[in-house]
Amino acid sequence: MSARAGTVPRRGISLDSRLLATAHSEWIKFRSVRSGPFALSATALIVVVGAWLLGDANRGGYLAASPAGKAAFDPVFTVLQAIVLAQLFVGALGVITVTGEYTSGLIRGTFVATPQRAQVLAMKALVFAVVVWACCTAMSFAAFFLGQSALSLARHAGIGDPGVLTAVFGAGLYLTLVGLLGMFIGVLMRRTPAALAAIFGLLAVLPIVFFQIPGKITKNLREYLPDAGQQAYRLVHGGAYALGPWQGLGVEAAYVAVAAAAAFALILRTDA
Amino acid sequence: MSQTMAAPDADSAGHAPPAAYRRAGAAMAAEWIKLRSLRSMLLTPLLGAVASIGLADVSVKNNAAGWAHLDAVQKARFDPLGLNFNFEVIGILLVGMLGALVATNEYGSGLIRTTLAATPQRGLVLVAKAVLAGLVSFALAVVIVFTAFYTGQGILSGAHAPHVSLGDHNVLAHLLGTVYYMTAAGLIGLFTGVLVRSAAGAITSMFGLLLVLPVLADKITPDAVTRHTVPYLPSNLGDEMLHHHQGLTPGPAVAGLAGWVLVLAAAAAFWLRGRDA
Repeated sequence: MSARAGTVPRRGISLDSRLLATAHSEWIKFRSVRSGPFALSATALIVVVGAWLLGDANRGGYLAASPAGKAAFDPVFTVLQAIVLAQLFVGALGVITVTGEYTSGLIRGTFVATPQRAQVLAMKALVFAVVVWACCTAMSFAAFFLGQSALSLARHAGIGDPGVLTAVFGAGLYLTLVGLLGMFIGVLMRRTPAALAAIFGLLAVLPIVFFQIPGKITKNLREYLPDAGQQAYRLVHGGAYALGPWQGLGVEAAYVAVAAAAAFALILRTDA
Repeated sequence: MSQTMAAPDADSAGHAPPAAYRRAGAAMAAEWIKLRSLRSMLLTPLLGAVASIGLADVSVKNNAAGWAHLDAVQKARFDPLGLNFNFEVIGILLVGMLGALVATNEYGSGLIRTTLAATPQRGLVLVAKAVLAGLVSFALAVVIVFTAFYTGQGILSGAHAPHVSLGDHNVLAHLLGTVYYMTAAGLIGLFTGVLVRSAAGAITSMFGLLLVLPVLADKITPDAVTRHTVPYLPSNLGDEMLHHHQGLTPGPAVAGLAGWVLVLAAAAAFWLRGRDA
């Protein structure tokens, strides 16, 4: 019966070859996102050049600081804190990777070609995460070494010091999670401005709101906001609960997981 | 001779080119239709108002309730006006975003090509956009700032905490300065949008410039370079309208913000005229 291939209906292709093909097409789409190279180079520029500037600018401050100030000095966070600005670009890259496809209408072609929508979204997230993780981890290491050499005379950290390797890898992981959060919010909102406002609101506005409103509730929740993953690249952990790097990344991953669950539910149910 | 040449009736096609003021009026009318049909026209100001009025009132209420328990030093530091405008930055950001969307939405849909074909006087198009976006930002700013002020100070006076009224020394100047900053943010957003063209780029720039950069700059130990640059960030110039902590007086701050708007306007005009749409 199966001898004459021309007459039998074409059988479904196997799962792994479909995933491979989907990953391949998602890679083509991701690498041709027009603002992609710009967003990643802006991130690299801010993180790496920022590390050098911050290290250089804080060297004098450290030497002039009181003993208590010197004890609280965190050489890793000091040079990596430009991530607070760079995360906007990674989050925006996650958003436009998806919303660009909705705006151009390409998403309909994608779903016609691969009706297994969950697999499309999974591969999209996987390709994005791998590329962004590799870039951001590389820039985190570059920023660390450049920043520590700029700190020079002030207290600086070596890559082998306790907690330092975790912090430098943690910075790359945090940025990857931010990008994924942007991507899933992009699936939920579909429109670039709305999705950008949502992710920036979560990352940049919400912490300010919680900081400005006095009271016990806001103080206790402050460490569980969607920027909780920033604990990942700190050596000194403050706050009511003193979340460590992995706990902070865990909270961050929980936000991403919630957004991902909502995105998968929506993409399977709604018209594209 | 020159009179007959210059007469509008000399048009060979038989119809006169419109008078300059009529063309300006038509450009304004067209821009107004596009502005009011912007989808974000409702949600963006609404979010700004919720943050700048609602959140500010929640914060003021909490502080007013705690007023009686403060010690003498904290009571001396209590700033009823500054407290009232802690969330103004979010409203300012959203007005800036609205300004950016006025431009980028048109690039996103491709409508800009029709606009520029209909009105090839590109400078005029930009002026019309700037006038309307400026007026809308100004109106929003007046409503948001004064509503926030009256509700916030009302809560403080109700709780018998220190409060200020419009007639007090410098209060009106502070409020008008904040209105000015919010209007400037709308225009900065518009011109950034014309320069960047993409919603993603323009919105990211607004968040970075107004919200994140000042926080980051604050963490650098002051030195010769930062002392002469950080106070001139638009957000810090705007902050001078309400607080005084960077060492600039309101006069130079007002001029500095106007400088940002004018430089961006010149850049936007230059690129809009020189580039393919």
